[in-house]
Amino acid sequence: MYNLSLKLTDMCTHCGFCLETCPTYVVTRNEVHSPRGRIEAIRAGINSIGFQTCMYCRLCETACPAGVKYGQIIIPFRKSDLKKVIIEKLLENPKLFSKVLKYTNKIHHPDMERFRKFIKDYEITEPLENNDEGDIILFPGCIESILFRKTVENAFKLLSKRYKVRILNGCCGLAHISNGNYEGAKKLAEKLSREVNGKKVVTLQSNCAAFMKEYKELFGIEINSYDFAEFLIKESIEVPRINDTFTIHYPCHAYRQGLTKYIKELALRLGVKISEMEDPYFECGAGGDYWLSHPKLSDLVMKAKKEKIDKSGVKKVIVTNSVCALAIRSMGYEVFHLADLIFQSQ
Amino acid sequence: MFIYFKLNSIIIIYKLRLKIMIVMLIDRLKEVVGEEWVITGEDTELYSYPAFIPLKVNPPIVVLPGSEEEVIELVNLLNENNVKYLVRGSGTSLSGSTTPTQGEVVISLTRLNKIYSFEGYEITVGPGLANFMINKFLSTSNLFYAPDPSSYVVSSIGGNISHDSGGMHTPKYGTTFDSVVKLKVLLPDGSVDEIGGSNFFDPTSIFVGAEGTLGIILRATLRLFPRPEKSKTLMASFNSIEDAARAVINVFRCGVTPAAMEFLDKNSIIAIENTQYKANYPITEAILLIELDGYSENVEEEEVRVIKAIRESKGEIHVPKDEEEKNRWWWGRKGAFPSFAYYSPAYLTLDANVPRSTLPTILKFIYDISKKYGLPVANSFHAGDGTLHPLIGFNPKNVDETINAIRAAEEITKFAIKLGGVPSGEHGIGIEKIKFMKLYYSEDDLEIMRRIRNSFDVKGLLNRCKLIPPSKGEICNVVNKIHSYLLEGDI
Repeated sequence: MYNLSLKLTDMCTHCGFCLETCPTYVVTRNEVHSPRGRIEAIRAGINSIGFQTCMYCRLCETACPAGVKYGQIIIPFRKSDLKKVIIEKLLENPKLFSKVLKYTNKIHHPDMERFRKFIKDYEITEPLENNDEGDIILFPGCIESILFRKTVENAFKLLSKRYKVRILNGCCGLAHISNGNYEGAKKLAEKLSREVNGKKVVTLQSNCAAFMKEYKELFGIEINSYDFAEFLIKESIEVPRINDTFTIHYPCHAYRQGLTKYIKELALRLGVKISEMEDPYFECGAGGDYWLSHPKLSDLVMKAKKEKIDKSGVKKVIVTNSVCALAIRSMGYEVFHLADLIFQSQ
Repeated sequence: MFIYFKLNSIIIIYKLRLKIMIVMLIDRLKEVVGEEWVITGEDTELYSYPAFIPLKVNPPIVVLPGSEEEVIELVNLLNENNVKYLVRGSGTSLSGSTTPTQGEVVISLTRLNKIYSFEGYEITVGPGLANFMINKFLSTSNLFYAPDPSSYVVSSIGGNISHDSGGMHTPKYGTTFDSVVKLKVLLPDGSVDEIGGSNFFDPTSIFVGAEGTLGIILRATLRLFPRPEKSKTLMASFNSIEDAARAVINVFRCGVTPAAMEFLDKNSIIAIENTQYKANYPITEAILLIELDGYSENVEEEEVRVIKAIRESKGEIHVPKDEEEKNRWWWGRKGAFPSFAYYSPAYLTLDANVPRSTLPTILKFIYDISKKYGLPVANSFHAGDGTLHPLIGFNPKNVDETINAIRAAEEITKFAIKLGGVPSGEHGIGIEKIKFMKLYYSEDDLEIMRRIRNSFDVKGLLNRCKLIPPSKGEICNVVNKIHSYLLEGDI
């Protein structure tokens, strides 16, 4: 993998066009914490601290004129540790994760104190489960399933009106790949592929759908995945009208994969007024588990994000990715998943 | 031999002294800017070069001050200790003006990116602000900042001023020079001066394009233009380079100054059509992308005249059918440089500026040079103001091929000067084109430049051995064969 990474760095012409899209560069203005700097460190064989400060939002790829595959280049240089391994294992089993969280949430430890700043104890629930043989698969996503169970219930009820729905709780592997655990992510992709067996998979975390669409390039595995909004648009599912004004956050991976156009289109079909925030695709600051592993940088990015959201002039934000929702509501906004909006107005 | 030995000894002693000095300085630098803003060790390599690829030199230390006061304190500290330094913005220089060849401490000004004020037709900003942030800030206003170098999404205002950056809209709106009203500069002696706004001996002019050799720009007040009421895009395709070049001249002759007039040759068109920038251009010998802007009646009249001039030059006119097609055409032009990856993993970008009437001659010469050296070339450039951008492909991992590319570039630039052109239209001289200064300017001219520079930089600490060729007694650290060739070449 190291050799492949090094080979992929050949495409980089050091132009720097990526810099201003990178959240850690934007808040530090330091080449060490920039995509160009990280690529240069790989070329030069430097063990730079910048490898670990990357939020893995990969917005740099959207700005790169040469099409450099930064997301793949950085994978073998991301360091894992025991804490990350434990978190990965728990994300793979949301039910166990919710039980562990219920217990550990009371512990006095800096990580848990940070956790409590974003999540209230009563919000941790066990995931919604069913054992039906579905026509389609509802894949809530690891965090969505245990912290936003209400959204899962709403989406399940909505989809169940037209389809036989099977709920599949687990992790798509994005957390793993972000930690540099390529093999772990691949195993999850293979497992998921077996379990869904060619059926349509609808995710409630937009970034999960985005990552599943990358399985083919990364692992040679194809999954018929849809983000919730994408599914509703492509299946021409009618939605009610809502008379309210929102701004929309575009989750980073979903934005890169072109999924945010469905999120916006669905919002428009709902009839909501959209007051755009500045750079809706700019990283929210959560970055998977980054908000726990790098609190200082994460807070700086959240501050920058808040300034961008403030420019919309509204307090209600449509957020279709659970960790983004945690970050954005911690800034003082009300967050709404499209599934909640649709369900509530029916 | 003795002189060589003596020179080498002096350089070795200087380097040793510098290393000791740097170690002693680190703690004091950290006191000024805070520990996290001083980069030492391996990570300094990330500041070893900007977007000029052939030469990399590690700086001993990188400092990222967070305020004007910190910059002033830093400069005083470096001055007291006689330590060389240079200033870097976003690191997008194509001429290598921020490559620390003389062992300079790099001061990165990226954190000085505030917008201080916006009043009337002027905006005051910090040097580290990226160019595009100004128009983003002005998005709800009816004004805009005109200079738009291709790197505008990242290149800093300080860097734009220091290189007098141009862009696509120079024919009508000028280069950065025409948009600078006032500057707040930190001089190498540690004093701060606010300059500009005067009709007599206005010193802002020499800071524009000084490439960081006279002082540090701390703040810039820039001129804004009203947004044009109407903008119209036309594309013209040609079966010969000569016809396209003649069309450029004829458009100006018919009394029209286009807002932008961009030239793409067949090699550029093919590259673009084979990458993500695909614009569905006609595959032809050359195309011109033309933008006309202003009041509606004006634009309509200009359009009639331009179409006539193009047709008289045997060109075919294409009008975009919708906004999407128009944007795709311009997006294709923006992708001309990165699309060159279709031919080669790296390229040199020249920017000699020539009289528009010589375009057919110089373009033919460029193709001949490509054949002579066996290196790929493509031309996508600002025809409106005669700023060429021949891209010369090479493999940066191969030193001989790199030098070959530099040689090819050298022949082109020399020919451009012979045709009445200037070595650099917008990327600056830096280390890339320093040897051409001797061709374009007389020794007397250069001596005057040195004296002006030395009157600012008395101690000789600020970005030396760039822009102005060193005087006879001046010692420059020569890093390697490539650097040596860049400095002297076959001049």
